[in-house]
Amino acid sequence: MRKSITLYGLTFSLPLLVWQLLFFLFPLVFLIALSFWTVKNFRLQPDFDTANWVRMYGREVFWQAYFLTLALAASASVIASVLAFPCSYAIAFKFSETARRWSVFLMVIPFFTSYIVRVYSWQVFLSDNGIINAALAWVGLGPFGMLNTTFGTMIGYLTLSFPLVVLLQLFSLMFIDRTLIEAAHNLRCGRLRTVFEVVIPSAKVGLVIAALFCFILTFGDFVSPLYLGGGDPPTLSILITDTTKSGQQWPRAAVIALTMIATLLTVAFAAIGYAYRGRGR
Amino acid sequence: MSDFNRNPLIDWALKLYALLAFAFVFAPIAASFVFSFNEDRFPSLPLGGFSTKWYVAVATDPLVWEGLQNTLAVGLTVSIVATALGFGAAYTDFRYRFFGKPVYLALALLPPTIPVVILGLAMLAFLSRVELSGHGYSVMIAHVVMCAPFAMAIIRLRLSQMDPDLEAAAWNLGASEWGGMRHVILPFTRPAIFAALFITMAVSFDEFAVAWFVSGLNETLPVKVLGFLQGQVSPRINAIGTFVFVTSMVLVILAQVLLMKRSAGQDVVADDKE
Amino acid sequence: MAEQPLVEFDGVIKRFDSFVAVERMDLDIHKGEFLAIMGSSGCGKTTTLRMLAGLEAPSEGEIRLEGIRINDLPTWQRDTPMVWQSLALFPFLNVRENVEFSLKMRGVDAAERRKRAGHWLERMQISEFAERNIAQLSGGQRQRVALARSLVTEPEILLLDEPLSALDAHLKVRMQAVLSDLQRELGITFVYVTHSQSEAFSMADRVVIMSRGVIEQIGAPQEIYRTPRTRFVAEFLGSSNIFAGKVSQTRKGQVAIETPTGRYATAQSDDKPVAVGDSVTFAVSGDRVQLSAKTPKGEFNTLQAKVVGEEFVGATATIYMEAADGTELRAQKSHDELRDLSIKIGGNVFVSWRADAGHILPGE
Repeated sequence: MRKSITLYGLTFSLPLLVWQLLFFLFPLVFLIALSFWTVKNFRLQPDFDTANWVRMYGREVFWQAYFLTLALAASASVIASVLAFPCSYAIAFKFSETARRWSVFLMVIPFFTSYIVRVYSWQVFLSDNGIINAALAWVGLGPFGMLNTTFGTMIGYLTLSFPLVVLLQLFSLMFIDRTLIEAAHNLRCGRLRTVFEVVIPSAKVGLVIAALFCFILTFGDFVSPLYLGGGDPPTLSILITDTTKSGQQWPRAAVIALTMIATLLTVAFAAIGYAYRGRGR
Repeated sequence: MSDFNRNPLIDWALKLYALLAFAFVFAPIAASFVFSFNEDRFPSLPLGGFSTKWYVAVATDPLVWEGLQNTLAVGLTVSIVATALGFGAAYTDFRYRFFGKPVYLALALLPPTIPVVILGLAMLAFLSRVELSGHGYSVMIAHVVMCAPFAMAIIRLRLSQMDPDLEAAAWNLGASEWGGMRHVILPFTRPAIFAALFITMAVSFDEFAVAWFVSGLNETLPVKVLGFLQGQVSPRINAIGTFVFVTSMVLVILAQVLLMKRSAGQDVVADDKE
Repeated sequence: MAEQPLVEFDGVIKRFDSFVAVERMDLDIHKGEFLAIMGSSGCGKTTTLRMLAGLEAPSEGEIRLEGIRINDLPTWQRDTPMVWQSLALFPFLNVRENVEFSLKMRGVDAAERRKRAGHWLERMQISEFAERNIAQLSGGQRQRVALARSLVTEPEILLLDEPLSALDAHLKVRMQAVLSDLQRELGITFVYVTHSQSEAFSMADRVVIMSRGVIEQIGAPQEIYRTPRTRFVAEFLGSSNIFAGKVSQTRKGQVAIETPTGRYATAQSDDKPVAVGDSVTFAVSGDRVQLSAKTPKGEFNTLQAKVVGEEFVGATATIYMEAADGTELRAQKSHDELRDLSIKIGGNVFVSWRADAGHILPGE
C-alpha cells in the first residue's frame, strides 16, 4: 500500500510515540543526568559531579544490598522455576482441555488482585501468633519465626512471580509436539528421562524466559523484602525508596536505579543468549 | 497421548501438586476475604464471629473515600487515554511497515518490564522537574505509560484475527481511509476496545508503587493501603482488599466475556447445502 | 480492432524493494470479455490485478481505463470492485449490509440502497439470507454475497482473485457456470486471476499465462492448448512431451529434427518457419501419442522408453516414462486402450506419434 506519510497514519501512530517518549524514555534518560546532580540545602542543582557515584559505590551498605538483592532474586528465579515446573507440566499434559483453560484463567486472576493486600494477608499467615503457628500449636509444634526472615521474603517473591512463571512455562510446554514424547518413549526413553531429555530441551526458551521474568520482578520488588522480610539488611529497591522518600537524595537513588538497570540488562541479554544458543543448528 | 503409557499414580500426584500450587496462589486472596468479615482485631485461628464492622470502618473513613475518589478519577481517565494510545499503536503495527518500527514497538511494549521502583523514581524526578509532579494528573500520566502496552496488546491480538483483506476490500468498495477506519476497523475491534478499557482500568486500580512515588498528596486507594501497612495491623486492609478485588474481577470478567463472545460467534459455519 | 480497449497496461513495471513482481507489461483488456490471468504463485498475476484495482501503485508505466490514466487514483475513487480470494466479507455486518456497503460509501440514500441491494440479492438467489450473519452462510452462499456486493454499483469491470479456490470440486464447477452466465448476461468485463487451468480454460474468452512477472502467452484457450508458444507454457499445461534438437532437413511442410533420443519428423511452424541448422524445441501433446509393445507400422516417430509410473484420475490414466537419455515422457490413455497393453513399471514400451502431432514452439 501507499508508503508515504499521511495525516491519517500520523493520527494513529504519533500520540503513543509522543507520550512514551515524553513520559517513559525521557524520564529514564533523565535518571542518567540526575545521577550527576548535587543536592545543596535540600535543593537539587544541575551539575556534573561524580560525587554520587563515588559515594554510593564506596559504601559497604550499597554493595551488601547489591549482592543480597542479586542472591535473593537469583534464588527466587530458581525456586520459582523448580516449584512451578511440575505444576505447569501437570496442567499442560495431565489436565483436560477444559481444566487447562480454567487453569490459565485462574493463574491470570492474581495479576488483578492487589499485591499489597496479598502480602498483608501473608503477614497474617506467617506471624508468630498467625494462622500457621496457631495450626502448628494445635498439634504441639512451634512456634516458628517465619515473618521478617528470608523465608518470608521468598514467600512474598513467590506470591509475586509464581503465577507468571507457571503461565510462561505452560505456554512453552503446550506447544511441544506430542509426538516427540511418544517418539522418545518408543525409543526406550523412560518417563522421567523423557522429561529431562525431550520436554525440558524443547521448552527451553520458555523456561528461561519465565525464570528471567521472575528475576526482573523480584529484583525490583520492595514490598516483600520490607513487609515480609523485615527490610534489614535492605535490598536495593528498599534503598531506593528510603533514599527517595526520606532523604531528598534523588541523585543517589538514581545511581542505585541505574546500577539496577545495568544489572537487569546484563542478566536479560545473558539469559536470552543462553535460551537461544544452539537453536540455529 | 493415549492412556496406554500412563501411570495413574504419577498422574494423580502431579494433579494433586497442581492443586496445591493453586491453593498457595489463592490462600492470601481467600484469607483476606474471610478475615474481612472476622470480628477480631488480630486475625488468627480459630475465627471470631461474623462482622461487617471493618467495612463500616472503611466506609466511614474520609481518607478512604478520598483515595477511592482519586483512584476512580485516575482509573477512568487512564483507561480512556491508554486505550486510545494503545489502539493507535496496534493499528500502526497492523497496517504500516516503516523504518525504525522495532524501536516504535519497543517503546510501546517495554514499560511493564521496567521495575516499578525505577519507573517510579524516574517519573518522580522527571515530572517534578517539569512541574507535573504531586498533582492529581501525575499518577494518571504515569499510569497511562504503564497501561497503554496492555491496551495495545489486546487490540493488536484482535486485529490479527481479522482477515487482512477486509480493510482493502472496504477501500475497493468506495470507502476512504477514514471511512475504512469507521466502517471496518472500529466495528471489528469494538469488543477488544472495551476489553482494553476494562483491563487498563483494573491495572490502574491495583497499581501502588509508581503511584506512591508520584502522587504526593493525591494518593490513590492502593497507596493509602500501603500507608496502612506501614502502620499497625488492621483488618481494614482486608476490607479494602476485598472491595478492590471484587471491582477488578468484575472488570476482568467483563473483558473476558466480551472477547470470548465475539470470537465464539465466528466459528459457526453452516453446512454447504446447495 | 480499432475500438478502444477498456483497460490498457502500457509498459507497467512493479517492484517491491529489489524484487520485480511485474516486468514491463503491455496488455489490452477489451470491453465485455472474460479474461483469465493464469500462472503459478508468485508469477505476478495477483499484483497485476491489484494494480488495476488501485491497491498497488505501478513503479513505472501507465495504466489507462477508457483511455484515462488511473495510476494515481486511489482505489476508493475507481469503480473496479474485486472479489477476494478470502472473499473479505465484513463479519460484523449481515448479508444485506454487506451488499449495501459500497452504495453507502457513495452516499446513496437508505431507500435507494435497499432497493438496489434487494435487486442483487434476488439475482444472486440469496434474498432469503438477507438478514443473516456471514458466519451462518455456507461457502457457496458467501460466494454469491461477495459477487452481489461487488456488482451492486453496476461497474464496467469486475476483478476476481481466485474466488473459487476455497470451494470443493463439485461446488467449484457449479460456481464456474454461475460466473460464466453472469458475465454473458451482464456483458461487462471480467478479469479473473487463477492458478487453475481448468477454471481459466472453461470460462475465459482469452487467457494470459504469466511466469516470473512476464506474459508468456495470450490467446484463446484452445489456441494456447494446441499451440503453446514457449516451453514454459507447454510444461505449465502439463500434458505435453517436450523435445529439443536441431533441424536437419526441411521439405513439404515438414521438418526433420535431430534430438538426443533420435530423429523426428514434425510439422513446419506457421508462425516462424524454421530452417536447417536452427535449434528448436517442439511439443507433442500427451493424448496424441500411442503406446505399443512392438514397433508400430506406418509413418510414425518412435522411441523406446521405460515405464516409471502410472496415475489414474477417473477414466483416464497417465503413464509416465523415461527415455534412455532421461527425457521425461507422458501419455494419456483411457482404461480401454491400456487393457490390451501390458504396462509394467520398469518394463519397456514404444512411444510413437504422427508428424502432424508435433508442434514447434515459436517462442523458444
